Amino acid sequence: MGHDPYRALYIHVPFCVSHCAYCDFTTCAMEAGAPVIDEYFEQLISRIRELSRAGELAHIETVYIGGGTPTHAGAKNLASLLYALGVSMRLSPEVECSVEANPESLTERLVNDMWALGANRLSIGVQSFDDDVLRTLGRAHDGKDAHRAIAIAQGRFDNVSIDLMCGVPGQTPKSFEQDVRTAIDLGVAHISIYPLTIEEHTLFARMVRAGQLEEPDEDVQADMMEASARLLRQAGYERYEVASYAREGYQSRHNTAYWSGVPYVGVGTSATTMTQNAQRRMRVQDGQVVDDLDAVEMAAEDMMLAMRMARGVSFAEVERAALLLPRLNAVLDRACAQGLIVREDGRFKPTEWGWLCGNELYGALLDSATL
Amino acid sequence: MSQDISHIRNFSIIAHIDHGKSTISDRILEQTGTVAARDMQEQLLDTMDIERERGITIKSQAVRVSYTADDGQTYQLNLIDTPGHVDFTYEVSRSLAACEGAVLVVDATQGVEAQTVANAMLAINADLEIIPLINKIDLPAAEPERVREDIEESLAVPADDAVLASGKTGQGIHDLLESIVYNIPAPQGDAAAPLRALIFDSFFDAYRGVVALVRVIDGHIAKGDQVRMMATGTQVLVEEVGARKPVEEPLPELSAGEVGYLVTGLKDVRQVKVGDTITAAHGGVDEPLPGYREAKPMVFTGLYPIDGDQYEPLKEALEKLSLNDPALVWEPETSHALGFGFRVGFLGLLHMEVIKERLEREFNLDLLATAPSVEYHVFVKGGTMVALTSPQEMPDPGTIERIEEPYLKAKVLIPPDYVGAVMDLTVARRGTFVTMNYLSPTTVEMIWEIPLSELILDFFDKLKSNTKGYASLDYEFMGYKEAALQKLDILLGGKPVDALSFIVHKDKAYDRGRVLCERLKEIIPRQMFEVPIQAAVGGRVLARQTVKAKRKDVLAKCYGGDITRKRKLLEKQKAGKKRMKAIGNVEVPQEAFMAILKVDD
Repeated sequence: MGHDPYRALYIHVPFCVSHCAYCDFTTCAMEAGAPVIDEYFEQLISRIRELSRAGELAHIETVYIGGGTPTHAGAKNLASLLYALGVSMRLSPEVECSVEANPESLTERLVNDMWALGANRLSIGVQSFDDDVLRTLGRAHDGKDAHRAIAIAQGRFDNVSIDLMCGVPGQTPKSFEQDVRTAIDLGVAHISIYPLTIEEHTLFARMVRAGQLEEPDEDVQADMMEASARLLRQAGYERYEVASYAREGYQSRHNTAYWSGVPYVGVGTSATTMTQNAQRRMRVQDGQVVDDLDAVEMAAEDMMLAMRMARGVSFAEVERAALLLPRLNAVLDRACAQGLIVREDGRFKPTEWGWLCGNELYGALLDSATL
Repeated sequence: MSQDISHIRNFSIIAHIDHGKSTISDRILEQTGTVAARDMQEQLLDTMDIERERGITIKSQAVRVSYTADDGQTYQLNLIDTPGHVDFTYEVSRSLAACEGAVLVVDATQGVEAQTVANAMLAINADLEIIPLINKIDLPAAEPERVREDIEESLAVPADDAVLASGKTGQGIHDLLESIVYNIPAPQGDAAAPLRALIFDSFFDAYRGVVALVRVIDGHIAKGDQVRMMATGTQVLVEEVGARKPVEEPLPELSAGEVGYLVTGLKDVRQVKVGDTITAAHGGVDEPLPGYREAKPMVFTGLYPIDGDQYEPLKEALEKLSLNDPALVWEPETSHALGFGFRVGFLGLLHMEVIKERLEREFNLDLLATAPSVEYHVFVKGGTMVALTSPQEMPDPGTIERIEEPYLKAKVLIPPDYVGAVMDLTVARRGTFVTMNYLSPTTVEMIWEIPLSELILDFFDKLKSNTKGYASLDYEFMGYKEAALQKLDILLGGKPVDALSFIVHKDKAYDRGRVLCERLKEIIPRQMFEVPIQAAVGGRVLARQTVKAKRKDVLAKCYGGDITRKRKLLEKQKAGKKRMKAIGNVEVPQEAFMAILKVDD
């Protein structure tokens, strides 16, 4: 189908030093330097060249190299990949180019190479600075590694993001709040905060079933999410999405693309490509069509995704979407009455409650497509 | 030319669940050439999907097999497959009354179990010749010698000549067939006497009307005969008789000793009742065969469509199922909480579960069932009696003189070690101990009088778990007894939910109310607001719990590859909500209405 130009590029690197107990991403625990990693990168590069020749990368505004642990693939492979990107598309400083890293595999040399080759944002999977919490999660690093990695990253990059996790079994509110304070003190530009979810087919899911692990407590997680929102707001971070906080000017443009209905192309195992035009939206993963939405379903999905963001949706956008979604106005009215969203500055915006009980809101919005 | 009665053998196969009754039946059909191997499918005699899946038999079956024995003679063997659950004890007793012998299947790795005992007792009481069969001897864990001793000790059935067999490999089936021919007596009966035939099952066939499965005791019956059902008085012209092999094969007649089917052309299965006697319309007998009983519903529940639009389809489905199930009774009922539905009466809990499952599966309905109830007799001042099958209809307590509830005489069979456990459970369920007998060194029979309402709570499950699965239970209706009963209401968000009300003994009201509130708190998911749950009798609150408002319900990570998955999760969540019933603004899962069934005392 004729489609709108892709504006975001995602590159998946599925290798990790070990498999974390909670993770259900497509990853593969692999010794660093294994030949299969080199082969995988050769394929990534071929695919990028192919897309470039086909003109599909001409409008890319953001690049995200995620995983897995891209940094686990080693300096040589990452350098080749970034180099190939540089010659396949316009990788100027205006293009946001993020690389995901884990503390244990981030070296000064790697940081310098990535910086030199055009990466301008590092996202570090810290999860916690508390060694006990990290052990529970089955992470390969400890708190000291996390501090070291952030320091190295900040030596070159001003745009450094870290992930923190809350509601981990055994994690106390005090320990979590200390993690948030540490992140603030280190001056990272961007922080993502996730409540731990027990995903199917993970070690944690098996442990919960076997009664070896307590399921994360809803109230504890809610308390922690509220505490982090408060601490980060006081420290000058803006919460621009359910789980994302940034200092001014450091919002992730790539992630924002996902929540704004911007077409993206994915490269690598399990990476998703979203291709669309005004009538149709398709998502393809590993050669399989996983989504095929018509204009009505698209509009509902756009509403659902937009409400993840602090800015919400404008009245004008709602008016346009309501032409396709017969129940949209009723759904929004009800969500306002429930206190999930508010009308503010000509927009519908989620409240703290709407963020915490997002499923209620998103479910209702998806539903607005049906009579 | 009618069959020589000395060459007929009528028998059934009885077993504990999963001991291989159906595979043994299958092998008999296969080895006698009744069903070609290529047409075999597992559990051939269990025709309903539910029967196959659950490994239970609900309807009786009769298959005629022709077998040429080692003595060179050909015998007519009639295999009657019986239901295997206490709900259908009466139906089983009628099926067994059509036989002279029973094959008792015992798993060589498990030995005698509760249902083995219960079923063997039924067969012994019916004066049947019992052929023990030790099944699954091909398994490495098989212990035929131990099981042989087990059978002799706990059932007092001689097992020296027990057949060793494997339903899986077919080993021993020949021995079984020979044993059936030599050990099971030929039926006695007089083909020249007036007709007496026992109906042991009946079902409705859209093309031929009601078909009865019968055992001819005396006389003979042929197409064109004018016959009379003695209990109902229905007269009918016989349209066809024959045998099922298992495909129906019309025959000129069925005579004394034979088992077969009979096509009546009647439109209502209630005119052809299990246990009734068929005799000739003119010159028939005056005395019916013994043992007939009216099938009477014992357990009642409200069945409501989750989607109100399914009320008419539900009614049609009930009408269809009733065609084939005389024990199923129903009438319309209205609930403030659940809308329009039906009060449906069943023989017992399994019957209820099976019917509900069939309604959902065969008719594609989404149903909600309220907690089962019994029929109470409420005597209001002035002397009139109201038969009450639904707590909602309870009259104003001020107008009630007394309430009576149905009692059962229950027989529990257990190894002696569990007498104490059964005593504790049964007393807690308001049972009165009557007597206790040692049937053998390993089996004790305890007789109790117990309210039916207590038995339909999770009594059977509790009995099983408190006796490591050894107990078997049989019961019969005894009569009505006065009891201090009251209606307990459940309030959600301060409003009474009629469909959650139940009738409870005064002494149990507090405990049941407290436990139910706790259970409901676990079952009802957190909502966008706080939901108080209260149990009350006549406006007095006995117990209270609160479902806290939802705090967090968000799919935190949602990047490129996650969006599809998360959207599907939300759709699943929505489908889950559809399975719930909105009562006021509270979403209540279906199992809430059955929560009272699982009261842990």
